[in-house]
Amino acid sequence: MTTLISKEEVASLVRPTRLHKRLYLDPDVFELEMERIWGQAWIFIGHESQVPNPGDFFTTNITHKIPVVMVRDKGDSVHVLHNRCGHKGAKLVESRQGNVRGAFRCPYHGWTFRHDGGLLKVPNESGYDSTGFDSSDPCYSMQSVAQVESYRGFVFATLSAEAPDLKTWLGGAIDCLDNLCDRAPEGEVEVAGGVLRYEHQCNWKFILENLNDTMHPMVVHQSVVQAAEDYIATLPESAVEQRSEAEIIPPFGSSYEKFEDSGITGFRYGHHYDGGKTSIHADYKVLPAYHDAMVKAYGEERTREIYAFNTHNTLYYPSLTIKSAVQNIRVVRPIAVDRFVVETWSFRLKGAPDEMLQRTLLYSRLINSSFGMVGPDDHEVYRRAQEGLESNASEWVEFHRQYGRDQVLEDRVIGGGTSDLDMRTQYKAWQEYMTGEVFQ
Amino acid sequence: MSNPDLKQIEQFLYREASLLDQPDLDQWMQLFTEDGSYWMPAMEGQSDPLNHISHIYEDRVMMEIRRRNFVHPRSASKEWPVRCSHLLGNIQLQNQTDSGDLVVTCNFHVIVWYREEQRVYAGTCEHHLLAEGDDYRIRHKRVDLINPEAAQRSMVIYL
Repeated sequence: MTTLISKEEVASLVRPTRLHKRLYLDPDVFELEMERIWGQAWIFIGHESQVPNPGDFFTTNITHKIPVVMVRDKGDSVHVLHNRCGHKGAKLVESRQGNVRGAFRCPYHGWTFRHDGGLLKVPNESGYDSTGFDSSDPCYSMQSVAQVESYRGFVFATLSAEAPDLKTWLGGAIDCLDNLCDRAPEGEVEVAGGVLRYEHQCNWKFILENLNDTMHPMVVHQSVVQAAEDYIATLPESAVEQRSEAEIIPPFGSSYEKFEDSGITGFRYGHHYDGGKTSIHADYKVLPAYHDAMVKAYGEERTREIYAFNTHNTLYYPSLTIKSAVQNIRVVRPIAVDRFVVETWSFRLKGAPDEMLQRTLLYSRLINSSFGMVGPDDHEVYRRAQEGLESNASEWVEFHRQYGRDQVLEDRVIGGGTSDLDMRTQYKAWQEYMTGEVFQ
Repeated sequence: MSNPDLKQIEQFLYREASLLDQPDLDQWMQLFTEDGSYWMPAMEGQSDPLNHISHIYEDRVMMEIRRRNFVHPRSASKEWPVRCSHLLGNIQLQNQTDSGDLVVTCNFHVIVWYREEQRVYAGTCEHHLLAEGDDYRIRHKRVDLINPEAAQRSMVIYL
């Protein structure tokens, strides 16, 4: 794809403490992001538990447009293939998930493909004799995405052959994926309880910026926190004890000091998390039956260690954000410069009582539903920004908070929980991806 | 209860719908029993509100929190007026639950005006109604959208 934006011009849109508004408004910048960020980074595709049996598939897009399919083959390997027939390019599967028993079969001319994408059969093949057509040429198969790897069941793929291996790319932020899985007595998680899809009418970067923007919850979510706290205060204690909502909603109104204490940690390639020693999820009750199962599996000390690493949001830039302590994830899929979809998936901790999944689902519903009392207020402020930035009063968005105070360590940068360290982290990566220097 | 009067049930459902049209969440909530609940599944034919995600699953406590949030001056998403027009049809008395509540189903079309945008929601409702003298209260309302799996936009009101 040719681009009208020069490398120098792209680089100049991100400054140490400010961003140019074109990042949110310019369709050409968006197209370049799809090519350079989404076309190079490891993108989260799905979890292996979504395709438990041979022939099971799950479809998604890896950029705003490119359709892919995750599929398990008979040898139990999971592939991520371009969802495109090697003949005339038709998408082979359309449903979000399903099973192709023997092979993929194109609905147009009946070409069939193995679960690993290899071309199986072309109908009436003699017509191709002596035409130069070579059925073994990979361009006629369902081609694999350039690189596919999975970590503890989380399947990522990248369109770039130059991207480093997944573990290297995840860096120290891998601790949060580990913590999510380690919270299962059996050390494994599986997708459970379905998905919520939420259409956002604004630029995709707003949600990533919001994840560890700890200066917003007490403002944006003040109404639901007050509504919940005021009403809960009138209820008898016995009625409140049983309600997880009473531990989920009020911490969104935590003080600046509390959020500052949680800290933010940033990594190469734009990943970051807030929390660690503590987070707004740290005071959730530990269910006795769950605790027993954990202690049985890990011993008391290791169990405490697993609980003690308590993060709020972790971003694996740009496509995946997880809540290790809650066991849900959000998957970001851009559509256009002012439109994207967020999918919320919940996880079952294998070996844990059902109540744990039920709390995860309650959280997903309360906080991430488009019909909820939290998500719509977040979405509203993103849209206000999307619309307000059309103003020509200034061309820049600022992020100065605690600039110059970040502590740079060997593999990470750490700073205060209310700093803009998360912004500095992700936009450093943005600039590296966009100028083509990220994997050099 | 003997011989439930379908006409009376229809009038009750219309009244409920008109309270949501205004919207008057205060009065609307009062139509529910103390153990009443509202459920909007996120999957077609969903059988379980606890072990599967839903768009909404709320009891009276959460309804009261939502009501307070709805009128709170510091909720940016509520600064926009929201107005609805419910149209109910195909109202049918189905059977009774084990506890004797009447099960009533209907189709709905709701036009919602919110954030300078007119939207259409459609689907079916299932009400579990407790007969109280000449009137009814709602033990359970289930709202099945025709597109529960679709990417939904922000919505701040019950349908």
